[in-house]
Order: sequence, then structure tokens, then C-alpha cells
Amino acid sequence: MTKREAGSVAIALAVAAGMALIPLTSSAQSDPATTGKFGSVGPGGPGKGGKGGGGSKGKASPSLGPAPRMPDGKASLQGVWSPANFGFTGGPYPLQPWAQEVLNQRRANQSKDDPEGYCLPAGVPRISPFPQKTIQTPEVLVILEEGNIHSYRQVFLDGRPHSKEDQLWMGDSIGKWEGNDVLVVDTTNFNDKTWLGGSAPHTDQLHVVERFSRPDLGHLQVDITLEDPGAFTKPHSFQRIFNLMQNTDLLEYVCNEFNIDKDHLVGR
Amino acid sequence: MRLRLGAVTVAACAFLLTAVLPVMAHHSFQAEYDATKTITVKGTIQKLEWVNPHAYFWVDVKDANGKVTTYAFETLSPNALARQGWNRNSLKKGEEVTVDGYLAKDGKPLADGSTHANSKGVTRADGRKVFQGSSADEAYTGSTK
Repeated sequence: MTKREAGSVAIALAVAAGMALIPLTSSAQSDPATTGKFGSVGPGGPGKGGKGGGGSKGKASPSLGPAPRMPDGKASLQGVWSPANFGFTGGPYPLQPWAQEVLNQRRANQSKDDPEGYCLPAGVPRISPFPQKTIQTPEVLVILEEGNIHSYRQVFLDGRPHSKEDQLWMGDSIGKWEGNDVLVVDTTNFNDKTWLGGSAPHTDQLHVVERFSRPDLGHLQVDITLEDPGAFTKPHSFQRIFNLMQNTDLLEYVCNEFNIDKDHLVGR
Repeated sequence: MRLRLGAVTVAACAFLLTAVLPVMAHHSFQAEYDATKTITVKGTIQKLEWVNPHAYFWVDVKDANGKVTTYAFETLSPNALARQGWNRNSLKKGEEVTVDGYLAKDGKPLADGSTHANSKGVTRADGRKVFQGSSADEAYTGSTK
């Protein structure tokens, strides 16, 4: 391969990588009538400032203008967001031997006992491949999940301490702004029933810190640190990126309607 | 070389694009279906159920002796199918289709006696493709990356 040809491949890969960041509404098969049916996010929502448009049929990426701000000057984290690096967990978790053994057993069984397969919550910070919608006020950030059994998270921003409720599937989340650009969300009070992404176990000592920021109009960045003195040997961090989905909204997904899978999960 | 480069580029684009399409199941594909037991069947649509967490469609397949075997194919979830422009009328009762898929690991029929399988995609008689994609296309979250 000549240098020029190698350069062509590099450019092609870069273009392909860029295309991979197109909102997931993009598809050769989507038609305007169907896409339109789902509506736009609405006035004041994330679709307002964009020019790329949802249902872009794989042609246009969203306009990456500056991150919008709320009336109080904080970064707006609002939008319908699709995970850009779904499944990424930042490499192997630093697991204690017992936890590594549990993970090995789960993998040997093809993760057949994952609570998610039984339409139970995936937990935090695990997400589904489907979109999330964030709604923000000065007092609370609400995260609505289309997948993850239509669950929701309430991140309280009003200065309250953590709840006394414990053993929670989704934990208890409180948040605090660092300046106007980064929302630091602290989540504790978990049960030990959910699985981390990648099928690893955790205990009820799991502590999740998520630093939410919006580097530009089209992207939401979440820098995640997990601590679990019961299962980890040290903290573990990774970054998750979401793409803004414009001119669309969450769709219905009622996991328990016809979940016959649970009767056929045989594993290995 | 130019042709080969084109193929590399197309393959790279295809890989990167499929890597982000929302086709995941809520369960481990490998726990339920056998990726090595691929099938291709030709038959007629008996019915389509637009249900969560996965839509299902049933295909009647007739062998040379006229004996009918019914396959029940799991496909993507209705929300994932809808975002790609398909709906509950995308397959009609009685229409001829060819389906590529995978057989279930347990080999057990569903409650109605149909053969349980997972669909990779459907091709209509006129060549048009619908319901493309399977939970097998992308690694289940079971893999730590």
C-alpha cells in the first residue's frame, strides 16, 4: 500500500467513525412519515438549535454548535440521548477474587441469569442501548430511560442529603454543580441485585459518581467512577458519550409484555 | 489495489455503523440462541405479533411432501423496528418471505408447537428487505470492553 493509499484508508476510517456518531435514528429504511410520527422534542428542547435534523437517513450529522444553557446559566443537559459507546466499561473491573469468580461463572453461563433478561432494572450506571431523555430544573434532573424497563432516575439538586431508603435497585442520587458546566451526581444506597455492564457483580456498598457535562450541542459526556469496597480492589473510571437525537422522542417499551425469553435462557 | 481498498473502506464503514445501531436484546443472545445453527427458510407469514420486548412473526414452511412446519422468529423490539421505519403492517399474513436466522439453543418448541428461532432479516418475494437486524449483531453487554 502506498502512502497515499494508506492516507485514503485513514480518511475513510475517520469518515466512517464520524458517521458512527450520527444519531441512531439514522437508517436507510426510515421514512419521513414514520419518523415524523414520533414528533420533535418541542420548544425549548434540544431539537431547537440543531440544523441536522433527526431521521437524517445517514446523510447529516447534527450541528455541533455550542452547548445550550438554562436560564440560570447552568449547562443544559436536556435532550433525548442515544449512547454512542454502549457496552463500554473502561476495561476489566478491579475485582476482588470472589467477585472475579462470580463474573467468570456468569460468563461461562452466557450471562443467562442477568436480571435484565427477566425485565428487572439494569441499575446504575448500566444503561440500555435505547435512548434516555433528560429533563432539568434547578431542583432536579430527571432521567427517563426508554429501555432499562422504562425506569427513571431523580437526581435531586436542592441540597438534600442522601435518602434513608436503602437497598434500592437504582440507588439514591443527589447532584451538585461544579461551576456552571459540570453536574456531579453522587449515587448510593444500592441493593446488590443488579449486574454491572459486562456482567460483573457489585455489593450494596457500590458508590457511583457521574460527572455530567455537555461539550457541545450534540453530545452529553458522563465521566463515571465506581467504588465498591465490597467487590473492587480500587476505584474504576470510564467515560460514556451520548449523541443528541433530534426530532424524536422516547418510544414505548414494555419489557414484560411477552418476555418468553426467560423460559429459554439455557446458557452454555 | 484500488478495488481492494474500496472493499476495505466499505467493510470498515459497515463495521463502524453496525457497531452503533440499536439492535440489542434485553437478554444475552448466546444464552438463548445458537450462533452456529444458522437457518434459511422460505414460507408464508402466518402472523406477526408487535409485542415487547421482541416482536415475533410466524412462518409456515412446506416441505416437498406438503408437510408444514411453523417457525416462530424473534426479531427486534418494536421501538427499535419503528425507528428504522417498520411497523406492524410491514409483514402481511399470507405473504411469501425468506428468513435468515438462528435456532434456539434448547431445541424446544414454543407453547404453540412452533420451532423457536431468531431472525437476522426477512426478504420479501419482490426482493425488498424488512426487519433487518438481530440481537446477535452486536455483543451483548456481557462482554467487558
